[in-house]
Amino acid sequence: MAAKDVFDEGAALNAGVVLRWARAAGVVLALGPAACAGHSEYTLPVRTALDAGDTRGAIRLLDERMKVSAEGDLPADMGSDNALYVLDRGTLQQSILAFDRSKRDLEAADKAIDMLDLSRGAGDSIGEYVFSGSSGRYRAPPYEKLLVNTLDMLNYLELRDLDGARVEARRLAVMQRYIADDLEEGDNAVLGLGGLLAGLVFEKSDQVDEALRWYDQTLAFAGFRALQDPVRSLLPRGHYRSPRLEAIEKSAATTPAAPPDTGEILVVVGYGRVPHKIAHRVPIGLALTWEAGAMSPHDVELANRMAAQGLVTWVNFPTLGREQGAYELPSCTLDGQPLALDLAVDVTHQVRGEWKKIEGKIIVSAITRLLARYAAGTLAGAAAGSDKLLAAVLSIGTQATLAALDVPDTRSWETLPARVAVARVRVPAGKHQLRLRARGATREAEVDVDQGGWAVVSLMALR
Amino acid sequence: MSARVFSRVLLLASSFAAAAGANACGGGREYVRGTDDPGIDQPAMSTGLDKDDVETALQKLLNELREAPIMGEWRARAGQDDKQTVAIAPFINETTEHIDSPLDVMLSETETWLAGSNVVRVVSHERQTDMIREVEGAQHPIFDPRHIPQYGKQLGVKFFITGKVGAADERTAGARRVQYFIFMQVIDTETSEIRWQQKTYLTKALR
Repeated sequence: MAAKDVFDEGAALNAGVVLRWARAAGVVLALGPAACAGHSEYTLPVRTALDAGDTRGAIRLLDERMKVSAEGDLPADMGSDNALYVLDRGTLQQSILAFDRSKRDLEAADKAIDMLDLSRGAGDSIGEYVFSGSSGRYRAPPYEKLLVNTLDMLNYLELRDLDGARVEARRLAVMQRYIADDLEEGDNAVLGLGGLLAGLVFEKSDQVDEALRWYDQTLAFAGFRALQDPVRSLLPRGHYRSPRLEAIEKSAATTPAAPPDTGEILVVVGYGRVPHKIAHRVPIGLALTWEAGAMSPHDVELANRMAAQGLVTWVNFPTLGREQGAYELPSCTLDGQPLALDLAVDVTHQVRGEWKKIEGKIIVSAITRLLARYAAGTLAGAAAGSDKLLAAVLSIGTQATLAALDVPDTRSWETLPARVAVARVRVPAGKHQLRLRARGATREAEVDVDQGGWAVVSLMALR
Repeated sequence: MSARVFSRVLLLASSFAAAAGANACGGGREYVRGTDDPGIDQPAMSTGLDKDDVETALQKLLNELREAPIMGEWRARAGQDDKQTVAIAPFINETTEHIDSPLDVMLSETETWLAGSNVVRVVSHERQTDMIREVEGAQHPIFDPRHIPQYGKQLGVKFFITGKVGAADERTAGARRVQYFIFMQVIDTETSEIRWQQKTYLTKALR
């Protein structure tokens, strides 16, 4: 009998079996070329270069990744990953004071991210649940959408271009309204920093009420104590009031007028790097202990049965890595004297908060994909008919191939500063020496401030 | 179940793989010449202003200016060999889009149209950068319409043609729409009086 079985299997290795094995090979050949590494694996050399302090090298790596013909060019296709590479390059250009290039990158990426967001359809969600977490179009979280315009506004302010800065401030307002009304997230702390910059833009453009509206919003967040005096001296020139502004107005008997022969300097220091996403693979049993409550009993039962299979019962999903520079204290001196910096926004906190909201859904979708792979493997095995060896190979091969193709979605804007600190100070008109330091990076600048003028000086130490 | 079902599974898996591959790895692109493919000017590529938008807006505004009383006045002065001097000032961008380049094009198109009309002397707007720098200072050499009388004196012009573009920009989960309001006006530099003003609307959307 055993000999017969062996013989039968051998006999099956004729045209029919060859055809079935060819089909099995076809699965692997068909699916193989589509397998790509995850986003954070592609950007590992970029992060490594940044950690080594080689920002220009990191920009070159991004250029190579996008296959652009000349340094700093925009890619012809601003699709999902390229939009993120351009965003990354935009912040890196800002950190090396290439503000013109940075604004071009951030503006191109801003439009591309908006396009991707609006193009998402049911197909993206189905793909994420059935095939791979990274198969759908990229959807930027609210803090990324708000930071595109906020950081670009900083570029224009560095270039003393109030016209361009006002455009970015208005774009920020549109996005803020959308996030508050449609996504119901009106209290994103990034708006504190955005409001500070937008307020300055409109104040220096002589649009006092618009400036007061932005400052009012900023004062709702902690970390902007230096704004109290500028707002108090601005209030008599405007009509916009809120309970918060009225309280400031009443808090002093006299309104301090801006001393003559003075101007203002705003210092912005971004430091560290937000945690990026990393691929994570855990056994199905462990994933179930986390998220079984969010799944249907039928799926839980099926998943429990699969846990016994061993080889391919791994759940692929992204998780957050570590941030850079969590314990850093940036410093600033003005004409040799220390200048206190206030923490304006903890971007890492925003990243973690946003991740917490979606983490459960992402793990559940990863388990759903696993179940889909199991079903596909079962079907493939059944197609082999009575040929048990071929059935097992087809079943495991299909599941293993689909598991290899399930690329966790590790896409994010990785080169954002972990934190941003600010200082706003009134100085006598004339030249001043500023020295900003964070994470081993230093910017020394001589700033010429006109009477009644202003200047914005920034340092982005993204390591 | 069998081979037919299995083939369908294969087809489904291959389709997903191909779709994901296309998403992740991108496709080919080519550069195209407008004379070879006139249709490339047709589609809207962004919510900013493009050539078609500039042409549409200027057609409306300059046709109105052609019929305006101020143009008649300029024609009459030109007939007496006393052409008025006119300068074109930058359009103010009060929108949510970086449309400075199309606005500069509108400026140049208007300047070309005025010079071609042969009823006024047109001061080149290239000279205006220096003039704005002189009036506004080197740190912030940005055109400020409140200082038109000073610009007029600096350039020796009687009229400025200027304008501004505002926008209502709205974003929802499914679309972004920008409605442009384009205004053009003729200002007497001595009195700051608006001698002519006209508007036109344009809408762009991403949906």
